[in-house]
Amino acid sequence: MTGTDVDPTPDRPESDDESRNQLTDDDALTVESALVGDDLEIGYPTSEKPVVECSRIDIPAGEVTALVGPNGSGKSTLLKSLSNHLQPETGTIRLDGDALQSFDRKTLARELGVLLQETDSLGTITVEDLAYHGRYPHRGFFDSITREDRRAVDRALELTGIEHLRDAELGQLSGGQKQLAWIAMVFAQETDVLLLDEPTTFLDVYHQFRVLETIRERNAREGVTVAVVLHDISQAARFADYLIAMRDGVLYDWGPPDEVVTEQLLADVFNVEATVQYEPELQVLPKRALPDDSR
Amino acid sequence: MSRSRAVDVDTSRSGRDGWLTGTLAAFCLVSVLVTVVAGFVQVRFGAYSMTRSEAWAGVTDPAVVLEPAVWLAFVLGGELPELSQHTIVVWDMRLPRVLVAAIAGATLAVSGAIFQAVTRNELASPFVLGVSSGAGFAVLATLVVFGGLAPFLPLFAALGGTLAFVIVYVIAWKGGTSPVRLVLAGVIVNMVFQSLQQGLFFFVDDIGVAQTAISWLTGSLTGTGWDEVRIASLPAVVAITIAIAGARQLNVLLLGEDTARALGMRVERTRLLLSSVAILAASAAIAVAGIVSFFGLVVPHIVRTVVGSDYRQLIVGCLFAGPALLVTADVGARLALSGTQLPVGVVTGLIGGPYFLYLMRTRQSMGEI
Repeated sequence: MTGTDVDPTPDRPESDDESRNQLTDDDALTVESALVGDDLEIGYPTSEKPVVECSRIDIPAGEVTALVGPNGSGKSTLLKSLSNHLQPETGTIRLDGDALQSFDRKTLARELGVLLQETDSLGTITVEDLAYHGRYPHRGFFDSITREDRRAVDRALELTGIEHLRDAELGQLSGGQKQLAWIAMVFAQETDVLLLDEPTTFLDVYHQFRVLETIRERNAREGVTVAVVLHDISQAARFADYLIAMRDGVLYDWGPPDEVVTEQLLADVFNVEATVQYEPELQVLPKRALPDDSR
Repeated sequence: MSRSRAVDVDTSRSGRDGWLTGTLAAFCLVSVLVTVVAGFVQVRFGAYSMTRSEAWAGVTDPAVVLEPAVWLAFVLGGELPELSQHTIVVWDMRLPRVLVAAIAGATLAVSGAIFQAVTRNELASPFVLGVSSGAGFAVLATLVVFGGLAPFLPLFAALGGTLAFVIVYVIAWKGGTSPVRLVLAGVIVNMVFQSLQQGLFFFVDDIGVAQTAISWLTGSLTGTGWDEVRIASLPAVVAITIAIAGARQLNVLLLGEDTARALGMRVERTRLLLSSVAILAASAAIAVAGIVSFFGLVVPHIVRTVVGSDYRQLIVGCLFAGPALLVTADVGARLALSGTQLPVGVVTGLIGGPYFLYLMRTRQSMGEI
């Protein structure tokens, strides 16, 4: 497991296209990337222009990377492509060096787990049953449950701290508990890479922390690579090892939070005036919205 | 007693494999009882009524029960040896009808349950998705145009059902399918095939064929015998086996398309495979019993309210509840009016329709599972 003590970007250049390539190239010397996207253009069948264009994106192995940006900046779209839910129009995404398309679906699901933003509301399924569905890629059509499956589910429930809700039905749970149950399912998948789309949105503060701490814990214990979309920049700054800031479908900046998060970035990307404190720890204090034409 | 204890041990020891809960076991047991009682009533009463002991003697006649040759004659067709009159009435006329009702009930219920999971829609059933009317049209065309091909009815029913479902699926497809689009397309395709069915009646010269066709389109078990048992059982066994094995896939489909895909399922392929199983099951029933309305829609709902929506339990529940309900309904169809028989589809429609309206009235949400 690589710790956070690795310093990937000693000198972080400004964020134009050329320097961004430079940045990741520099970086590849020090940090190994679990997921790499090259020359990506990602769009939807309904949209004419690509929603996301990015020449290079790296999700460093064993680290927690947060994708941040305002609504509509393309961070969820990017995550969908990284998780093979949305095929890029051009470019390739590689997982440990192999293109995503070259994976068999189940093999991929054993390597890469994903929790998308819109999970369907399920009423009567129990938390434990949901967690067992995480074992789907590990089981054949006729396979019954193995000891390994049981162990993985027990561990997932323990790690998410919802063992006591094991037999509760999803419909009876609060939004935060539901989210933890879904996370237990992805954990039970036991993948090396974990992608999560806005796992804290719509949760109360307590459960936001619970979710983030649970993910952090999983990363610390097992060196799982995490990429997570967060819309709250101050939360992301405290939580992640790396930030990827996006604006209008392009990468604005990439790097450790204390280098990426600047007052300039908050103005450029989020269109807010804010003060950023670096001591004693990184803190973002948003003040007011900037007028629309100030970008 | 020993049964319920075994269930307890099972659940505590094997955790998730213990889907065989006490509720499910009790539900199945009750269903079996209902099936047996209704079956016995069916066997005993009718134009040729028997006393209870006479009927029982007929059912347990050693000349049948202990005679492999007779069984072989039933199962494979062929000459029956000399039997007493009671035994003939029981074993050659009334019991096969009960069996056909049981097979059709089980397959229709399982088919409906599968369609509801595949489309993630509570309103789905072989009827709603056009399968019934497609199969109905095919069977009607066979009866009217190629009368000699009657033994291949299930095959034609399956072809017609598949054709209708493929049309529905293709229309509903737009880079993937959605439950609502599927049902909408199903309704339209349904209407087209029903018009075709009605159109076919103009080409019927023989009043007898017309009557067969009508009783067929309303769903009837009148006059079914061992031939029908033979026709339906093989596709029924195949479909039911795959349905039970695929219950976990159905559960994962219920998690939603994106989640199923994230878990490594090839969603469209799985959907198509399970849909074919559902079509096969429905065709087996339609080929021998005609279009029994509402059955495939309502039975999974009844089972769901008792055993929950875990498909490992739901499919098994449908397997037992379907026969119980259709055999009972057929008792009503055959014996309610003395002197004449109703098509069983009339009975299921009259009971199933209002029950479904009641469900819609009392449930908060309807449409999504």
